[in-house]
Amino acid sequence: MTDVKVPSVNPLHLLAAFGSGGLLTLMVDFNGVLAFHGNALFSSWAAHGIGMVAALVFLAVLFRFRAKGGGEVVRAPLWAYLGGVSGAATVMLTSTTVNSPLALSGTLALGLAGQMVFSLAADRWGLFGLPVRLSRPRDFAALALVLAGSLLIIMFRDGAT
Amino acid sequence: MILSIILAAIAGVLVGLSRQINGRLSLSTSPLIASFWNHIVGFVVLTVLGLALGGLMPAGAWDAPGYAYLGGVLGVIFVASGSWLIARIGAVNTALLVIGGQMVSGVVLDLLRDSSPSFWASALGVALILGGVALTQKR
Repeated sequence: MTDVKVPSVNPLHLLAAFGSGGLLTLMVDFNGVLAFHGNALFSSWAAHGIGMVAALVFLAVLFRFRAKGGGEVVRAPLWAYLGGVSGAATVMLTSTTVNSPLALSGTLALGLAGQMVFSLAADRWGLFGLPVRLSRPRDFAALALVLAGSLLIIMFRDGAT
Repeated sequence: MILSIILAAIAGVLVGLSRQINGRLSLSTSPLIASFWNHIVGFVVLTVLGLALGGLMPAGAWDAPGYAYLGGVLGVIFVASGSWLIARIGAVNTALLVIGGQMVSGVVLDLLRDSSPSFWASALGVALILGGVALTQKR
């Protein structure tokens, strides 16, 4: 559990992660508008289809700037291409539980719990071919603070609307 | 209720799982390529599902405002950044910081829309999150 050699998070990485959390807020909002006019399946289907096209456009634009990187690259195993299955399944589960007694707040809170337990196991054992990272006691304190703050926001947000 | 609780927790596990798998793919390719595969595979799965279950093109779907379709573009950047980060700072830190960013930006969005549910609960929540984020920084 204790490994002092684990490096601290680089401020650039911190900003990137915080920024992508902001993108997620907007994305959930936009997809929610699509689901309101259609349904949850349509919203996710359209987002994935448009995302697929957008990724191709980004890749085409960035291709010109890509330096020729030499060196050997280990080929990805076939299962590594299946991350999208997990994403698609998430949509089905959450659109079910949002309409259960759990509502949005319960779905978000339990989702955070599931995500954290999985992430701890993933770092601890280096699941799915990524490096092992042992957590420091300070990381657990950070985890507790972020989760407590998130739960506070989630619970009061749903209660007032 | 028990079933709903289990399903909601599994949904969270799946979020972490897909980030881990996409992170592995990006090691061999690039984060943007991993994001592309994530979206094309998800699109195929959802298309098959929609054709089987129906409801893929519900009435009124095309009345949604145009900006709402930008969610897919944001998703590409989101998945690519997650795949990039998880290989550098690990699953726990990635999840923690993304959740923090999502919560704080959600509160800001509420404030901008003048629909903040409880100012003090939100402010305390943001303070706790920023404190936790600061802890990941301390050497």
